[in-house]
Amino acid sequence: MKICQVEGTLVATARIGGLQNRRLLVVKERGTSGKQVAVDPVGCKPGDWVIAVGSSAARDAAGSKDYPSDLTIVGIIDYWDDASGHAGAPARARADADPSRRA
Amino acid sequence: MQIHRVVRDLVTTKRNFWLASKSLRVVEDHRGNLEVALDPIGAKPGDFVVTIGVSAARIAAGNPKITTDLTIGGIIDHWDEARWHG
Repeated sequence: MKICQVEGTLVATARIGGLQNRRLLVVKERGTSGKQVAVDPVGCKPGDWVIAVGSSAARDAAGSKDYPSDLTIVGIIDYWDDASGHAGAPARARADADPSRRA
Repeated sequence: MQIHRVVRDLVTTKRNFWLASKSLRVVEDHRGNLEVALDPIGAKPGDFVVTIGVSAARIAAGNPKITTDLTIGGIIDHWDEARWHG
């Protein structure tokens, strides 16, 4: 699975029937500059860090084996600290650890 | 899925049986790399399109037996060079 950040929605009115009316999002994979397009069955907002599956698993993840997707978002990451490149502490814990935020 | 721009039509009269009579287009990515995609929609040169790869490309072609690894899935309504490269 890939770690991606959501950039925004993509509008494509003229599309193949198989894609149905699913939401498509422009996402940027972490550590790369290229943009990709993913099917979003979850409901993400721009700026969200998400995990996305590729290849034939993307078809299953989009709801059925017959859905023509090669990149499907399967989850929104709750906490992601991109500077360190690994899952960050929950926002509340970060606030507790920061002396300037203590009452 | 990726964002490509249609460059031109591609005509191949002598072709694999399982390409059937599907239309082909030459498309380019943001770096200018050329690829050939099957086009079930009818995209015109200059159109920005969403392309579907790997095994989903065969399903997108309308028949899983069609031998393609890149199929145009939709024409993007609003897109420009700046967003493509940025």
